[in-house]
Amino acid sequence: MKVSKSAKAFRLLIAGAFAASVTVLPISGGFAAGETLGAKCTTEGESTGTFSTSLVCAKNSAGRLVWTKVKLSASNLKPIAALRAPRGSIEFWHWRAEDKAWFDKIIADFEALNPGVKISQVISNSGDYTATALQKVRTNKKAAVVTTFRGPQFNQAAEAGILVDLTGEQFTKRNVIKSMMGAGQYEGKQLGIPYQSLFNNPIYNISIFKKEGWKLPKKFSEWISYCKTAKAAGYTPMAWMGGFRPQAGQIINSALMNTASTDALLTSRIQALDTGKDAITVSWFKDMAGKYAELRDAGCFPDNPKGVTEAAGNTLFATGKSPILPTGSFSMGGIVTLNKEMDGNMGITGMNWTDDVNARYTGITNNTFILGVNKNAGRTEQRIAKAFISYLLTGPVATYYANSSKQHVTVLDVSYTDANLRNTSSIMSERLVLAPRFIFLNQGVRDILEDALIAIVGGESVDKALTDGAAAIKQRLG
Amino acid sequence: MSRTETGARKGASPRPKNKLARANDRVLILMTLPAVILYSLFYLYPTINNLRYSLTKWDGFGEPEFVGLNNFSRMLTDDLIFNKVLSNNIEFTFLVVIFQTAFSLLFAIFLLKNSRTSTFLRTLYFFPTIISSVSVAMVWQFLYEPNLGPINVFLKSIGWDFLALNWLGSETITLRAIAFTQVWFHVGQMMVVYIAGLQQIPAELYEAAEVDGANRWQQFKSVTWPMALPTTAVVMAYTTIQSFRAFDLVYAMTQGGPNNSSSILVTLIYLTAFNEFRFGYAATQSIFLVVFILALTALQRRILRTRY
Repeated sequence: MKVSKSAKAFRLLIAGAFAASVTVLPISGGFAAGETLGAKCTTEGESTGTFSTSLVCAKNSAGRLVWTKVKLSASNLKPIAALRAPRGSIEFWHWRAEDKAWFDKIIADFEALNPGVKISQVISNSGDYTATALQKVRTNKKAAVVTTFRGPQFNQAAEAGILVDLTGEQFTKRNVIKSMMGAGQYEGKQLGIPYQSLFNNPIYNISIFKKEGWKLPKKFSEWISYCKTAKAAGYTPMAWMGGFRPQAGQIINSALMNTASTDALLTSRIQALDTGKDAITVSWFKDMAGKYAELRDAGCFPDNPKGVTEAAGNTLFATGKSPILPTGSFSMGGIVTLNKEMDGNMGITGMNWTDDVNARYTGITNNTFILGVNKNAGRTEQRIAKAFISYLLTGPVATYYANSSKQHVTVLDVSYTDANLRNTSSIMSERLVLAPRFIFLNQGVRDILEDALIAIVGGESVDKALTDGAAAIKQRLG
Repeated sequence: MSRTETGARKGASPRPKNKLARANDRVLILMTLPAVILYSLFYLYPTINNLRYSLTKWDGFGEPEFVGLNNFSRMLTDDLIFNKVLSNNIEFTFLVVIFQTAFSLLFAIFLLKNSRTSTFLRTLYFFPTIISSVSVAMVWQFLYEPNLGPINVFLKSIGWDFLALNWLGSETITLRAIAFTQVWFHVGQMMVVYIAGLQQIPAELYEAAEVDGANRWQQFKSVTWPMALPTTAVVMAYTTIQSFRAFDLVYAMTQGGPNNSSSILVTLIYLTAFNEFRFGYAATQSIFLVVFILALTALQRRILRTRY
């Protein structure tokens, strides 16, 4: 069928008008006064993530904080309201005892909105949860909302077919930040909704940087210079805690993020190490390990680094003896507990281990708390679970959870009132990669590999540490 | 009691039980039943199950895959980390058993008399025992901290920098530092056991030794030590088992690091199971641990039994 030029032009005009009406108009309606594209913003990092495209206060290429338009959700439509739940009772399985109080309130509100619904939290410590939760929920029809850790546990649940596919749900398409959903995807399906957003990037002391007139390092050579300058000024440049592997290993995320030209290559390289196909003496890993030695030689780490515990590292940072805590946004709550004056005095920065300021990635994100629906739960229970998840994914509920738990969330329409969350939420608009440390699925291999890097910081030569580590991994994998 | 004696009488044929006796037997059996059920459910069944899992490759979630004795052969012949951890455990046990036994005996001898000072000091030495092990670990982690910790700060302040070591960060020192903490933690408990044992020694023996002109050392060598051997056997057996079970202290202080240098068998078993999801192999390691403790305790008892 032939279509005339004028008809084509008319169709394009209609399509353009429709696109503008569904995107631009809702956006303009969603912004608070004064939040204008390109205009200066004073509160660093506050996200007003609304609808499909949002204004986020972030640094532009010149380093100025401006309201920047970014597309956050998967669709162009408004976030949906919470689904209605049928009558019934379900269990909500998770390990975050520290969140119990917030969830109690959220659940009470949800139950009030849905008469006849009862949700009880089943909380165990993270160790027990990792070891036994999936086995238990398999035969429990009431365990409808099941959370999983990113990595081995989520994969295990996905492989065992425990999780309901949420790909087609409207709340998946419209209520969440699309770029932060990766941790809940398996073979192209959205089997879980990552709820919290963590940022495993160094935290810095804003007032020290201001007082000393330092700029945040943007590339590896600047990190080396920063360490030398900070050391000379009497600081411990980075409160790195080599005595506690889980936190000492956080910087490996930044170290790994730009070691390959594509995500697929990085994943395949890590998988090769994880399965023993490649030894950790492989050249790309050796180059990366060599940078640990460079940082060590520049005085970046504390004295006796292998003996520095998590508490000691946090103390170094909280007391202002160290301007940088190389762990992540999740450490901020603990720092404020140690020193109230640090409240609102912490920023976050990526750690670029290359000398290219335009490297593919500038920072790390991660999600551990992945919400899922148990396929083995009853039909009604599954409907309640979906309704509850949709409720958690509405702006006001997620705002309450985020500000109470002092964690960023992956949900649109969230307004962070906590000063530390506001100061660090600008990282959301950076070029983030899901923490590559968790591509390792064999914890035993990862532990040995991280021990080798810790040994390098402790003074061991790169060659010896990697050779010893490679032998141990080979032996472990049998 | 009387029934047993009657039944055991030489040449006497067992008398048929009357109705009452049979009813009594049933009651006795019924009375032990709750304990037997609980024991079977919470001890026997898991133990047998553990034996079953030790012959499998199992991630704790899917179906266990039978691998025969592979886990055992690998553990005993081809597992460098297991060997390292086993030797750590032997060193740790050796240090703890020797020092804990020696110090608890020493404290018990000095604090044997029921004077006010002795009672105060006994309470003081016993005090760490009632603190939770994780709290003890946290306190000592802080004390041992190489840069901010009070031990090194003190040593540096008096000019003994050479002694200000990286207590929990050095592969050669960490295990010994934790062993010291373990001794500090439990020495008061063993001291109390010794005091109870030493108080049973008849005073006449010391009086006779004194009449014979024995000095304090000779009294210790000829009276106290031989008479305290049964208590020593108990203390050593208990300390050995305790040192093999020091999971909480080791895990909370170093998680077995650096580079497995402070890992002991129980921490390795935990990490193998819950960190690496190798439940079958962890079951094998735990069976080895049980057999090893049994053998060690039997050996200790044998050595000490020949002495008393």
